[in-house]
Amino acid sequence: MSAAPESAGLAGSPPPGKSGMSDRWFSIMLIVPAMLITLIFAILPLIQALDVTFRMGDLSRGKIGDYVGLTNYRVVFADNQFWQAGWVTLKFTVVAVGLEMILGVAIAFLLHGATFAKGITRSLLILPLATSAAVTGLFWRYLYDTQFGVLNWVLGLIGLPEPNWLGDYTIALWSVVLFDIWQWTPFVALIALAGLQALPKEPFEAAELDGASKWRVLTTLTFPLLKPVLFLVLVLRTIDCVRLYDAVAVLTRGGPGTSTETMTFYLYRTGLKLFRMDYASTMAVFFLYVMLVAAVFALTPLLKQFTDRAKEA
Amino acid sequence: MRKTLASASLLALLSAGGAFAQECSDPVEITWSTIAGFYTDAMASFVKSFEDDNCAKVTVVNIDNSQLYNKQVIEMVGQTGAYDVVTLETAEKAEFAENGFILPMTDFFADKQDLLNDVSPTLRAMTVEYKGDVWGLPYYTYTAGMFIRQDLIDDPGEQAAFKAKYGYDLADPTTWEQHRDIAEFFTRKAGETLKGEVLTKDFYGVGLMAGPFPEIQDELSAPLWGMGSDWLTDEGTVPVADVEKVLGEYVEELKFAPPAALTVTYDGVMNQMKDCQIAMTHGFFLDQWPNAVKTEDNCPGAKVAAIEAPGKKAYVGGFLLAVSSSSANPEMAMKFVAHIGGYEIQKEFAELGGASTLTSVLTDPSFATPERRATNGQYATLNAIFASMSGFSSNLFKTPFGAKIYNTMQIPLQAAAAGQISVHDAAEQLAADVAKICGGPCPIAN
Repeated sequence: MSAAPESAGLAGSPPPGKSGMSDRWFSIMLIVPAMLITLIFAILPLIQALDVTFRMGDLSRGKIGDYVGLTNYRVVFADNQFWQAGWVTLKFTVVAVGLEMILGVAIAFLLHGATFAKGITRSLLILPLATSAAVTGLFWRYLYDTQFGVLNWVLGLIGLPEPNWLGDYTIALWSVVLFDIWQWTPFVALIALAGLQALPKEPFEAAELDGASKWRVLTTLTFPLLKPVLFLVLVLRTIDCVRLYDAVAVLTRGGPGTSTETMTFYLYRTGLKLFRMDYASTMAVFFLYVMLVAAVFALTPLLKQFTDRAKEA
Repeated sequence: MRKTLASASLLALLSAGGAFAQECSDPVEITWSTIAGFYTDAMASFVKSFEDDNCAKVTVVNIDNSQLYNKQVIEMVGQTGAYDVVTLETAEKAEFAENGFILPMTDFFADKQDLLNDVSPTLRAMTVEYKGDVWGLPYYTYTAGMFIRQDLIDDPGEQAAFKAKYGYDLADPTTWEQHRDIAEFFTRKAGETLKGEVLTKDFYGVGLMAGPFPEIQDELSAPLWGMGSDWLTDEGTVPVADVEKVLGEYVEELKFAPPAALTVTYDGVMNQMKDCQIAMTHGFFLDQWPNAVKTEDNCPGAKVAAIEAPGKKAYVGGFLLAVSSSSANPEMAMKFVAHIGGYEIQKEFAELGGASTLTSVLTDPSFATPERRATNGQYATLNAIFASMSGFSSNLFKTPFGAKIYNTMQIPLQAAAAGQISVHDAAEQLAADVAKICGGPCPIAN
């Protein structure tokens, strides 16, 4: 039954090879603009970047130089600061994403069960996301200020130690994490909430009739059904955290020393402060490779799950 | 006859006017990339007089200081011609000159030697000259001395206490050891007294710019140059032992600075001073005098003085105006440089409180009056600094890698200041970073 209207619709369109184009060509034409944009703004620069990784590329000397083989890769892989930046990025990503997922899901459950002020709370949750990290980061820099900041003022009032949030190298990274959590936990919460609200009611009603405990419902129904949504948000947040730049640039500029220098910030410093486009491109290509491998591993089960569901449907 | 002559004169006037109008209907366009902020807010108003006198149209592009270098290099490398006049930090001059990004102006200034000679020889050597050529004019100087709460130094009670503790008279510091002692002496907790008054909040001996900004190396330049050393030896390497020594002393002084020292740059230190939190600065940009002197309004009994840094050496900085080699109108651009760096504009700039680069302005008696103290009170000290540093030049400004080194050195220095790495490791890392940037010893121009 459902195929009949589609067939009717197709029957009304010109047959291929006569006055119009085939469905196949039509669909190709639809994606051509997007493909062209991808080609111009992503693929060609990527090819250019790949080319630069094999050349001498000190831009301040005026041009990209001769081919130097794998020298740039050797230099980058032997660079301690590069690995240090990678380690900082990894620490940041694991902690920030982990906490954002836990807090975000918890907030989503609270909101899902809330009986009043649900709408306004949801609206308020959007606020941190509505402004760029570069702008909100400036506000947070003042919040963190050791002399004039609100945070230390409050801590002082209740007699707690007043940390040097952005000046103490042992805690500066966690101050950036805290900022990221503030900004992005609502994103996780809102997506998780949408997922919760979209869950089918029947299995839960059946479980209730069977007298299943809340914990059992949570572990055998809610989380398994919510898994694809949570997994997607986990992947999105991970990608976002791994390429963290703006918050670091505004809050700490990678300091104190290099304690908050993430991979992208180091890449920026190498490329646009030292103008070593060769090293910067090499780092970027390596970074892209790692991200691609990670994405393939991470997304394969999710895509498989989506495919299976589609087949079942 | 008279009528004919009058008519002819009128015609001549009209035609001349017509020619002028025609000429100015097609003004020569030039673009000046410069730093957003006070430095150029004032300058923008002076552009108008240049436009009127030269039938030019000047577009001022204000760029945040942290991005100015990157943006200018990209435009220079691409030879886009986007900027006709560029603004360079002292350490960037050699790179731009060596790579052909800017045009030499030696010939242009051949018949303007008076103007060139009006720039203090010290400032000229640091900011204008490279490999025997002249590369523009500085239009603003942020040469460093230091600010000190003179009322604290002159207080009899504090003087007696200081002498009792350190065994010598409390006075403006002339050595970095004295600077350290004074910083330690005036560091007090809330509840203790300062000039006989009970402090309601902690007070610190010194304000330091130890945040993740290049200013930390500007501060450190003072003791390093003061001990007769430099960031680069004549062989183009970092003198690790000297850097370790001054950095070690600097880290020691951090104990006497507000905790915010590890996150701030010059504006933060000025806020600390105006908030009655600190007794003095380290080597500090004297162009901030109009800010520093506001301490006197905020802190009862305060008297601020601008003095030479201990050792009579400190960072000599100036924003150099230079002409891009990809400029479509280099002659007009050079005229513009001479206009902004010239006496008329520099005097007007000084009247607004700017730190002029010309000796004739800095020594102008009209700026030495009590009425001008709030805006130009640092001029006498600036002159003294230029005199003290006469003949001095840093190798950091003579290497084409100076800009890159300048943009990198803050990282190990600040890492040591924050305690992330040891002072020795920081000095070693700086040496390694510099060698990596230069691909070995850095070339130093004679």
